[in-house]
Amino acid sequence: MGKKTEAVIAEADKKIFNLVVDDKSVSVTEGSSVFDAVKKTGVELPAMCYHYSFSPFGSCGICLVEIEGKGNNVRSCTAKVADGMIVKTQTDKMIDARKKAVEKWLIIHPLDCPVCDADGKCELQDLTYDLGVYDIKKGVRKVVAEDTRSPVLDFNMERCILCGQCINICEEVQQIDALAFYKKDGKTLVGAHEGVPLHCEFCGDCLAVCPVGAITSRFSKYVYKPWQMKKTRTTCTYCSDGCAITLETEGQKVLRVTSDLSYLNKFGHDVTPGDSHGGLCARGRFGFQFIQSEKRLSRPLAKIGGKQIEIPWFKAIPQIAKRLTDIRNAYGGGAIAGLISGRCTNEEVYLFQKMMRTLLSSNQIDSAARYGHINSILAMQYALGLGRSTTSGKAVTLSDVIMIVGSNITETNPVASLRIKEAKRRFGAKVIVVDAIETNMMKLSTHPVLVSAQSEAAFLQGVIRAIITNKWADPSFIEQHPKAFETLEKTVLSLSPETLSEKSGVSWDKIEEAAKLLAESKRGTLIWGEGIVSQNGGWDNLLRLIDLSLLCGLLAKPGAGIHPICEENNEQGAVDMGGVCEFLPGQVPYEEGRERFSKIWNKPLPDAAGASLPQIIEKALRGEIKALYLVGENPLETLPDSMRVREAFEKIDLIICQDPFLTRTGACADFVLPATTFAEKEGTFTNMEGIIRSVNKALDPIGESRPDFKIFSDLFRQLGGEAYRSVEEIRPEIHSLVPDYFEEGMASSNSDPEKRTAHLKHYFANGFEKEAMKRYSNMPSPLTKGDQGGCSDTPNQQDSLMRLVLGQLIFHSGKLSTKDKGLMKIYNKPILRVSEADATALELKNGDWLRVGQGQRAPRLRAADQSPFLSSDVELPIEIMPSLPKGTVWFPEHFTDLKDLMPVTIDPVTHVPYFKSGFVSVKKVPLFDLTVVASQTGHAAPAGHAAPAGHAAPAQVIESMENINS
Amino acid sequence: MTIKELFRSISLAEIVTAMKLTFKHAFVKEVTLQYPREKLTLPDTHRGALGLLRYEDGVERCVGCDLCESACPSHCIRVVSGESQEDGVLRRLATEFYIDITKCVFCGFCVEACPVNALGMTKLYEYSTPNKRELLFDKPKLYDVGEVYYKEAKAYLVAHNQEKADEQASTYRYRFPSFTKS
Repeated sequence: MGKKTEAVIAEADKKIFNLVVDDKSVSVTEGSSVFDAVKKTGVELPAMCYHYSFSPFGSCGICLVEIEGKGNNVRSCTAKVADGMIVKTQTDKMIDARKKAVEKWLIIHPLDCPVCDADGKCELQDLTYDLGVYDIKKGVRKVVAEDTRSPVLDFNMERCILCGQCINICEEVQQIDALAFYKKDGKTLVGAHEGVPLHCEFCGDCLAVCPVGAITSRFSKYVYKPWQMKKTRTTCTYCSDGCAITLETEGQKVLRVTSDLSYLNKFGHDVTPGDSHGGLCARGRFGFQFIQSEKRLSRPLAKIGGKQIEIPWFKAIPQIAKRLTDIRNAYGGGAIAGLISGRCTNEEVYLFQKMMRTLLSSNQIDSAARYGHINSILAMQYALGLGRSTTSGKAVTLSDVIMIVGSNITETNPVASLRIKEAKRRFGAKVIVVDAIETNMMKLSTHPVLVSAQSEAAFLQGVIRAIITNKWADPSFIEQHPKAFETLEKTVLSLSPETLSEKSGVSWDKIEEAAKLLAESKRGTLIWGEGIVSQNGGWDNLLRLIDLSLLCGLLAKPGAGIHPICEENNEQGAVDMGGVCEFLPGQVPYEEGRERFSKIWNKPLPDAAGASLPQIIEKALRGEIKALYLVGENPLETLPDSMRVREAFEKIDLIICQDPFLTRTGACADFVLPATTFAEKEGTFTNMEGIIRSVNKALDPIGESRPDFKIFSDLFRQLGGEAYRSVEEIRPEIHSLVPDYFEEGMASSNSDPEKRTAHLKHYFANGFEKEAMKRYSNMPSPLTKGDQGGCSDTPNQQDSLMRLVLGQLIFHSGKLSTKDKGLMKIYNKPILRVSEADATALELKNGDWLRVGQGQRAPRLRAADQSPFLSSDVELPIEIMPSLPKGTVWFPEHFTDLKDLMPVTIDPVTHVPYFKSGFVSVKKVPLFDLTVVASQTGHAAPAGHAAPAGHAAPAQVIESMENINS
Repeated sequence: MTIKELFRSISLAEIVTAMKLTFKHAFVKEVTLQYPREKLTLPDTHRGALGLLRYEDGVERCVGCDLCESACPSHCIRVVSGESQEDGVLRRLATEFYIDITKCVFCGFCVEACPVNALGMTKLYEYSTPNKRELLFDKPKLYDVGEVYYKEAKAYLVAHNQEKADEQASTYRYRFPSFTKS
């Protein structure tokens, strides 16, 4: 990272300079700073404002050196080297000058070290001690009130030494530019531009680089001394980036979360291009309070006489085992199904699927990957014989062209998005962002492509057509697969450029430009995300993307690759470990590997094809499922109402729910087993690059909760299997079945993305022509209002139909983060985002309320009393977002208010339920001042919101918001 | 037995010597203290039970900085710090403060570590109780001790050259900055 690294890229072109530093000769490349040259001799110059992650700033004046021939002291970080320079770093004059510089800060520093959170990990303290600054002239107190207006970060400007690191990391690495110097009453302060309250992405990197205690976190303020805490390095549990985090605990409490950015030596750390800077995002850094949430379950619950009561573990496990065995003996394994979350470790998923398949003889298992990521894996397995990303984060940073299709990557995977930002800013990569909504990444990109809603397919076909007609395709691909290329050539020509450009809403020039860039790239990367895998037509779009990558040679060129993005942290691992019905561990197709695995496991495996999540629910509705084992899954809250999940669950005799929290699904379960969070368990996660990251235990399990692994191994023993005592015992077993999965150093061929190769023989062998014909000659038109909405029973003709898109927020991940007090403090509002054009049309302004109803009146069999929260219409406050296209409203999927309105389409090939986008009817709610109502009813009004009176729905919404706040 | 020894035993010389010492002590000032009727006058530097002190205006001195906890060799102190927002003034303070006096070795390191002289050692040593739980001094109890034995604690600090005597103390005081809430 940093501008410094530009030197590394074109190293060959640069001259080598020879210098003499403190009587030692050093040779460095042209363009390096004197600081780097000094660093090469092994001397670390002290510097307050220097950081490896961004370019030198030169504000502190401590890294002074003496250069022969120059009169004044030189700031080494900003001075460039010249040939034959003679540098002296340790002369008396220099040491005195450094002392003076430190003294200058000490005079205005409040010296309130005992009450400062940085006490013990403060660079000013260290420098004062190292340089021996003992007598300070009479101090002057800079009186500034502490800025506590932002929800997380407190700015104590009395302690600030104006080094500017926070501003630089925000601007250069995060590229948010939220912080700046500003003047107030003649004092220079740091904060949001012009001193307004700070509202940014709250990645907290400014907090990590602050050398003193000027920026502090409200969530861990005053509770610790840095040296008193136990530090455990583990892996974050939120998104699929798999960032390494350090949990800092005292006793049984997590006090704060830090990362490598806080602990790496900021002067000496040598960064090679493509290395991560070690920072975190808001979720990872501030979302740790769910671990100690008082809502955590502490003892197992069993439903006895219609009520859930606490029972001890030694009764719960045998009871569950007995009932599962009874059901298996009475109805066979086909009556048992299991769902596992994408947040469980690899070892747990392995043990779960082994238990389900061998001991309960059921192949009806599924994981959270079914919500989208399985689409990518199945399509890549089908076409390439390789179910994982073919590139790595490092390669993404060094790409020259990056195309992102349907992924709001800055919100879903904030740390991965930094790689793309870095690639663009530092290495001049061209970034093409294809999306229907103007995302943050699109605003930063070089080639933004705004397609009309759900027409990525038309755009991709346009790109493929442009590549073929302009003869930009990879010659090696044409050479190896001439027949396949011919087929593609024939089929893509069937639609004219005009049609494609009209359908996608992108001009043909733009399509051609994008096609040319990607086809002629040296190290191109193709990234796709939730906008492809969990939207209608995901399977076909994925195959189009794969065809595109083959045509551009992304799978053949070194440094190029394709990179699917998944949502939860271990979705990739869940599929790798056989947590879906299609695959056995190691992504072996079930039918293929059944014989082999039944020999290895010494138990017969069921011969039924198994069932995926939608099939399990369908079967349950038919009454064929008698027992359902849910591990961290919560289908009642994650699936829309129209899938009739509640009805299905009522027909199941035995529901076992294993979760750290009592979810809505858990509340109707027969047994609820308290599991632990990631902080209390050992294991590994596999991130979206396919790299295995270790999870280490920071706390003992809270209450009587147990790690999922322990629960599975207890059940395993009760059901008659062999006993596993620890996670380490299971790793050799996985290793023998999935070669290379846990190899030493965790960088084997399986986990090292760059060593993966694709096998194309099956893809083009049979039926490719027919498929390509289907895929490219007739374009499925995107769903229009006529298809889904506009039905005869639309309640009110005045309602207008709009496309509702459910998306992810940067502050939340799945439903887990809504259990976290800290993240809910940052963002707790179920607010509907409306485009500017629609707001004008409906005469809406920020804070108005909108009534959202179903666009499609699907027949629903549901008694009114079963769904107390949701009437068919929901009223929500709105926020105007200029980046949304006309006719689209956006809602965060983490809040459950609107998902029940969504229609569901199930993918015919991969069984992925698509419900992230659909049509709803919206209507403005007449405005009343809620304060009047509040004074009558005694309810407090939420600040800044006005809501209609005398209506049931808003009252519920307000209540739910109050619950969240409390 | 020699003749000399025989003479000594007949003349009761041993008893005379002993009685001489006995009667000599009848006129020496007594050394035994009739505790609990009589009590020893302790020096100012005596290290007795710990108490928490307030400033003259009643503000708690303790800022909850945890330094006493870090300095304690027997790990008998536990501080939980937090934030107070009284009258729009933000400051750090100890929301909970525990000293397990049964573990305390009376080394006085905590008093030395305290940057605001909030801890003082008093001359209180009579805290025996049938209930062992009372020996875990919590924050109210420590402030009670500090209030009752304020003079002694202050004298301890003065004797250890940590604080000036009363008349000078008001000018010689370093208070940690408290911030007005913006």
